Amino acid sequence: MEELIRYGEKLFDEIEIAVYRNRDVGIHIELNEVSTSAVRQRTVTIVRGIKDKRLGLAIIDSEDKDEIRRAIDEAYKMAKLNNKDEKWKTLPKPGKYKKPPKFDKALKEVSSDYFVELAKRGIELSLEKDKNLIVAGGGGGAEWIESLILNSHGVEISQEGGGAYFYLGFIGRKESLVTPMIFDVDARRNLNLDVENIVENLAQKVKWAYKVEKSRTEEAKVIVEPYALASLLHFALFPAFSGEKLIKQTTPLANKVGEQVFNELLTIYDDPFHELSLKPVIADDEGVPTRKNALIENGTFKGFLWDNYWANVYGTESTGNGIRNSSTGGISIGMHSVVIKNGKESLEELIADIEHGYLVNGFQGAHSSNPDNGNFAVVANPAYLIENGEIKGSTVFMMSGNVYELLKNIYAVSKEQKVVPFYGTTISPSMAFENVRIAGK
Amino acid sequence: MQDQLEKALAWAMDNLKAEYIELRYENVKKNTLELKDGTFTTFTGKTQRGVAIRVLADGAWGFSSTNRLENLKKAIEEAYKIAKAVASARKEKIQLAEIKTYEDFVKSKMKIKPFEVDIEEKVDHLRSLEKLLKEDKAVKSSWLRYEDASGEKILLTNEGTNIKWELNYVWQYVWATGKEGDKLAAARDEVGAVEYGWELFKEREPNEEVAKRVIRKVHAQLNGVAPKRGEFPIVAGPIIVGIIAHEALGHLAEADLTINSPFKELIGKQIAPEYVTMSERIVDGGFGNDKYDDEGVKVKDIHIIENGILKEIMLNREYAHKWNLSPNGHARAENYTYPPIIRMRNTIFEPRDWSLEEMIEDIKFGYYVVDFRGGQAQLNSSFQVGVQEGYMIENGEITKSIRDTSISGIAIEALKKISAVGKDFGLEMGRCGKGQTAFVSSGGPHMRFDGGIIIG
Repeated sequence: MEELIRYGEKLFDEIEIAVYRNRDVGIHIELNEVSTSAVRQRTVTIVRGIKDKRLGLAIIDSEDKDEIRRAIDEAYKMAKLNNKDEKWKTLPKPGKYKKPPKFDKALKEVSSDYFVELAKRGIELSLEKDKNLIVAGGGGGAEWIESLILNSHGVEISQEGGGAYFYLGFIGRKESLVTPMIFDVDARRNLNLDVENIVENLAQKVKWAYKVEKSRTEEAKVIVEPYALASLLHFALFPAFSGEKLIKQTTPLANKVGEQVFNELLTIYDDPFHELSLKPVIADDEGVPTRKNALIENGTFKGFLWDNYWANVYGTESTGNGIRNSSTGGISIGMHSVVIKNGKESLEELIADIEHGYLVNGFQGAHSSNPDNGNFAVVANPAYLIENGEIKGSTVFMMSGNVYELLKNIYAVSKEQKVVPFYGTTISPSMAFENVRIAGK
Repeated sequence: MQDQLEKALAWAMDNLKAEYIELRYENVKKNTLELKDGTFTTFTGKTQRGVAIRVLADGAWGFSSTNRLENLKKAIEEAYKIAKAVASARKEKIQLAEIKTYEDFVKSKMKIKPFEVDIEEKVDHLRSLEKLLKEDKAVKSSWLRYEDASGEKILLTNEGTNIKWELNYVWQYVWATGKEGDKLAAARDEVGAVEYGWELFKEREPNEEVAKRVIRKVHAQLNGVAPKRGEFPIVAGPIIVGIIAHEALGHLAEADLTINSPFKELIGKQIAPEYVTMSERIVDGGFGNDKYDDEGVKVKDIHIIENGILKEIMLNREYAHKWNLSPNGHARAENYTYPPIIRMRNTIFEPRDWSLEEMIEDIKFGYYVVDFRGGQAQLNSSFQVGVQEGYMIENGEITKSIRDTSISGIAIEALKKISAVGKDFGLEMGRCGKGQTAFVSSGGPHMRFDGGIIIG
């Protein structure tokens, strides 16, 4: 690769080459059966070069040296056509990395047969538990990624790692009643996926959903479980941590560093090294060392996240949050592993303490939230009615408001945390809110 | 490449005991540009090339994909091997509906193909759009994304399908943030085409029109008042009608999902007034238009709801066999790294005879919802659609705009409450995610719902 950097330096002032080698295996479940098994292999090389402050990018489906050379030429052609970016400073310089984390090497070679067996067991267990339920969907698989990032300033970092996941989606049918599809997932950095726990958890939720209760239009206590919480915060809050939005003044958190913005029970980090993190990267996609970044500590906003470009524009340093979009090659500010700090009580205790309220498993429409002001209007579904400390049945309601207001009304956080492997990774507890305005159905 | 693929297929037919073998090769060049507040943060030339292999052996699917073309045989063997492993775990054997196979070359209908346009012109186009947006004082930040593709796709099967496509598309996405005082607002706009090329931006979606739309949406929100929560008469514009057609009803008519949805029991039954027809069909400018699907099946127009009766669903070959129906061309794969699954193309309500004025004139209090930001549905047809542009209707007139809100309901209930279907027609381009992304469009005329939809 070194000679390719040298070749690129003849054309560009600065150049970066990133290679991602990806193997994934997986299976799908449909209607109580394994439907498809797949193995996919892909290598992508991304060239990013800058000439006279003009950026050019090229992406190819290969790591062949001759093809990379042609990609460098292509990137150069693009750079010549691009406009000058007067804000451009430099690509990152070498940094000091942490020791690479340990991975279960079995992830690298695991065959899809392993997941066929897991699925068989999962389906059998499910149907034994409840003959009225259908394993309507599901899947499992493992991914292994090897990456290499190098640039003409001497950055050279190779990393490897992977993760595995397994999920099931249940629908219960009893007489004319059909429950909504209820999902649960386990994701981790090894193959010890807990199928039994998923089945147990889902069977309980489907059982609750066999009874349908009306929800009222009222102000009530609402416990939001990890999937629902992660989806809402991902769309309505997390974009506000971007340093780019600070520069453009399009984040409600502008000028709020050091201020108590949320309830003191709220603490959020971006922490790739957390023990449950699925991608414990020691360098981001531009080769900048990663670190644990505090975003909110006990309700106080601690600071923004930066990639190399926007940090240079603002005159600060990258926080190691440069994330590459694999389809466009561009780098933007993103998060590695969001960790929402857990609390003291168990979810069971939180439910037991509620006289009248709701438990939300999922939100529909979290992605329609407005990240620029935190407004949201979502449907809580699946959701459950709680009366006198017990789940009474499933229900559906609308919840709309502003995420900054909502996060002032936390009154408890569960001690259990769950890895939510959608939209990046979020490690999240359940969170209990009071005085939440809901519109019943 | 054709030769290499044909040889690999011949080898597989001689050496593997499979019921079905499918090779789908793709070689596409893309241009991706992102213009964020004056700076091109993405300026990319991309080559995407690889093969998808699908094998049905002993009644089970195996899929593999690779971009190491020298390993083609190995990848076919791998797909075969994993299909056999799944077969041992299945009770029911998967079978495919019979089809007529085609040998064809699908030529692009674009007048000006993206690769015929200099990149300078694409740059100028985006810069001019940005300038138009920023001329409005309230627009503080804009993010323009543009992508086009030119290339080829080849589909070969052991049954004799041999189709080659010229593969082209253009796509543009705008995100604008507006600010006035402490108020922040965001608006999105998306256009794209597979049959119109660069002419899309010259003739059908010129910058002036796009900018006008985005600015209108930003201001509608900045000046918007919070809507009253509750169930009121709702008049929905073509874009909202389209997202309801797609999210809340369309997904239920995808055969793999129908099986777990209320639609399963409702086929052949009256589920809406007789003046309501919803189709999945080829539309002028439709982002989901194609001649064949990724199983080589000819794309057919279907009526999901015809004169109020739930009639047809979207099928691939596997589900067509299960339901004893004919496949209708809805198996689509995002690219060579994915197997085809059942997807929508263009999902629309068919126009009738009302004008917008007639629809609103007797509404004392209600809402007119025009454009959305995000939407999602459950299999029980419970849906949520974020509204980024909407207005109040007071005493038969459209009055104040409303700010960030959403509408929700149970679509199969809301269908019954449709009281008027407009004579106009509009189409919205978008991308649908169902594990893979597909270009789709959705739309219809203005429609009025007297209940069944909750706002706020």
